[in-house]
Amino acid sequence: MSVLETNRVSKQYPGTLALDEVSVSFEGGKIHALVGKNGSGKSTLVNIFSGAVPASGGTVLLNGSPISFKNPAEAQQNGIATVYQELSLVPGLTVAENILIGRMPMKGPMVDWKKTRKIAQELLEELGIDISPNDVVSDLTVWQCQMVEIAKAMSFDPKVLQLDEPTSSLAQNEVESLFRIIRKLREKDVIVLYITHKLQELWQIADTCTVLRDGKLIGTEQISELSRRQLIGMMFGDVEVKTRPEDLRYGEDVVLKVEHLSDGHRFTDVSFELHKGEVLGIAGMLGSGRTELLNCIFGAQKAAGGAIWLHGEEIKDPNPEMMNRKGVAMTQEDRKRLGVNLDARISDNLCYASLQRLGKGIMVDRAKEKQYVARQVADLGIKVADVNYLVSSLSGGNQQKVVVGNWLNIEPTVMLFDEPSRGIDVNAKQQIFQIIWDQARKGISSIMVSSELEELIEVCHRILILRNGVIERTVLPQDVSIEDLYAISMGE
Amino acid sequence: MTSSKKLSIGNIVKNYTLEIILVALAIILTFVTPHFLTLNNLMNILRNISLQGVVAFGMTIVIVCGELDLSLSSSIALTGVLIGLIGGKLDAAGIMPLQYGVLVGIAAAFVVCTCVGLINGWLITRFRIPAMIVTLAMQNILYGIAAIISNGFPVITFPAWYSFIGSGRIFGIVPVPVIILAVVFAITAFVLSYTKFGRATFACGGNAEAARLSGINVKRTKIISMVIVQLCCVVSGIMLSSQVMSGTFSFARGWEMNAISSVIIGGASIAGGIGKMRGTLLGIIFLGILLNGMTLLNVNDYIQYVVRGCLIIFAVLLSTLKNKK
Repeated sequence: MSVLETNRVSKQYPGTLALDEVSVSFEGGKIHALVGKNGSGKSTLVNIFSGAVPASGGTVLLNGSPISFKNPAEAQQNGIATVYQELSLVPGLTVAENILIGRMPMKGPMVDWKKTRKIAQELLEELGIDISPNDVVSDLTVWQCQMVEIAKAMSFDPKVLQLDEPTSSLAQNEVESLFRIIRKLREKDVIVLYITHKLQELWQIADTCTVLRDGKLIGTEQISELSRRQLIGMMFGDVEVKTRPEDLRYGEDVVLKVEHLSDGHRFTDVSFELHKGEVLGIAGMLGSGRTELLNCIFGAQKAAGGAIWLHGEEIKDPNPEMMNRKGVAMTQEDRKRLGVNLDARISDNLCYASLQRLGKGIMVDRAKEKQYVARQVADLGIKVADVNYLVSSLSGGNQQKVVVGNWLNIEPTVMLFDEPSRGIDVNAKQQIFQIIWDQARKGISSIMVSSELEELIEVCHRILILRNGVIERTVLPQDVSIEDLYAISMGE
Repeated sequence: MTSSKKLSIGNIVKNYTLEIILVALAIILTFVTPHFLTLNNLMNILRNISLQGVVAFGMTIVIVCGELDLSLSSSIALTGVLIGLIGGKLDAAGIMPLQYGVLVGIAAAFVVCTCVGLINGWLITRFRIPAMIVTLAMQNILYGIAAIISNGFPVITFPAWYSFIGSGRIFGIVPVPVIILAVVFAITAFVLSYTKFGRATFACGGNAEAARLSGINVKRTKIISMVIVQLCCVVSGIMLSSQVMSGTFSFARGWEMNAISSVIIGGASIAGGIGKMRGTLLGIIFLGILLNGMTLLNVNDYIQYVVRGCLIIFAVLLSTLKNKK
């Protein structure tokens, strides 16, 4: 039986210890879940196994002999295959070509197509995957692609198979089909490491569960002997929740009303009201539909049904330009790709949303522009030597402030924050929350989405819990513990 | 970003690379050929770069916006054909004399090229077809149309005053095209730096999706930029047909490459979001001096093609390397 062990493995990144002397062992023929919240170190561990990053200390042993790889290709050749969340298939090629890409059987200088198809066919049959090797990948659904990825990984005959969030973009019935395939791997003495955010899945699929927290190993348990409460306790420990300032009260007036909104895919029938000066949290895990919900309100993507009312006026067919004019702002989760223009100066980035307000007619009023820039730099405490520097020269926290400042310049009445604390340090996080509260005091209403649920308890007046695209419950932060919040979000 | 304000030699070289190369090139040419540094030759250079310079300014806006226009050579040729043809037909039909008829032709050229820009922009933004494909196809369409309406012959119905635009000189020294070049430079530089549209152009070219999510109308911005370059084509087409007093469908072939090279040599990023009108101006002067120097030194015409091609690759390479860090 194969065994994958780590012996006091550590990983030091500048400023953080991502893994702290983790010693754990995984046996073949079982499915081992690896869980922990964001930043717990589980991705780091996966990356060390897959050869993507080297460990800074300790040893990894496969069947008793120490291993360390320079790159993922080397890890793959030595029996460790990893299937990532982002699929790596070539859309225009067939399933057989994708599985055997780069190592197709040859007959002289030509590809032996017959043999290629035969190898792929056998592999798919063995795994019980009902997909033809001649199908073109672009015609397959996401979960079928996921299966092809697994088949591809299994074609290397690995001793260890790592699955990183394989169900994050799948629907419920597709998940079950995928699980059937994964369970079959048990018969093959493969060490399956299963990484997931969806705790409810663990009892369906995993044999053991290894919990990491803040880079430390908390423990490994047999899943059959573990209750959900115990697991959540292991994952989150005692979290200190900072309290919201006392003076934050919100008014009666409904600023934004959403009725039966759905995007036809990720979320359905969402209804809620947002009041003047209120900070409303939306709790939800990856894939819960939280980003899509904000995008539909903001008009960044089309809604499939439902109604949106802003200050009592119904909004038909919103788009970002229209919502901007109406005083609705939205900061994006993917800051570098969607939030800022990295090639442009800080000052430019602070004036994109407010461009139409920068003077009359077609002209930019340079004095006004300067004033807009200076105002946000001062109010938000953006640490910068010169606003003419490129925005890419700023730290994550300061970039986020630029994104927020860009929107505050339109003097919004509603702000939508999608994961505002993503990728920024603790101090910057507190400053961003402070900004949200300051805006609330001025009567600006906010919706904040976060997967760091303790932040929502700290920041928000009210929390909607979104799970699998529906609002599961609405809670008040003072009435709910972090464990409860996570339990409801992840599905109890 | 440059660590500004420090006046070290390194910074000067970094910030004024093109100016330094330009001056060096001029000094070398002054020494190797006696014909270079004469008022007449310098005015000649300026006149020669004016026609293509005007479109390079329009192209700067398009490239900063993250797009391209390869159709402009045909638009320039079509402009000349349209003006001569309409002027001639109106005169022949006795509706109005040629002097005024060409004015109608000029108006028509502006309308037609505006439509071309709108169609280019619409196809690019509505259907997300790459600009290179759309405008290359448009280049062929317009080339064909210009040939069809002129029956493949040069159109030579232009009034005498018309030649002043391309060949006239103010105070007998400064060529009129140079004045036009200066005016178009001032307008486009102003548009790019001082208007909301200009800011939006940089935003769209730098990160179109982020711009859209900031509430900037990306489609409109791109369409306007595609129209502006076409308007520049009309201006250039008027000067060209005036210089030779003829509108010929095969004029201006390959000018899009010269325009693109001037813009890239001037420091704009081919990926969009970065670029300066001043840089493009230096780019066209640089190209102009280089071509003039080669002509003065009797360098074979075909060798000039090779040099120009290499220069484009070199300039793009330089800008790619610079933007990578």
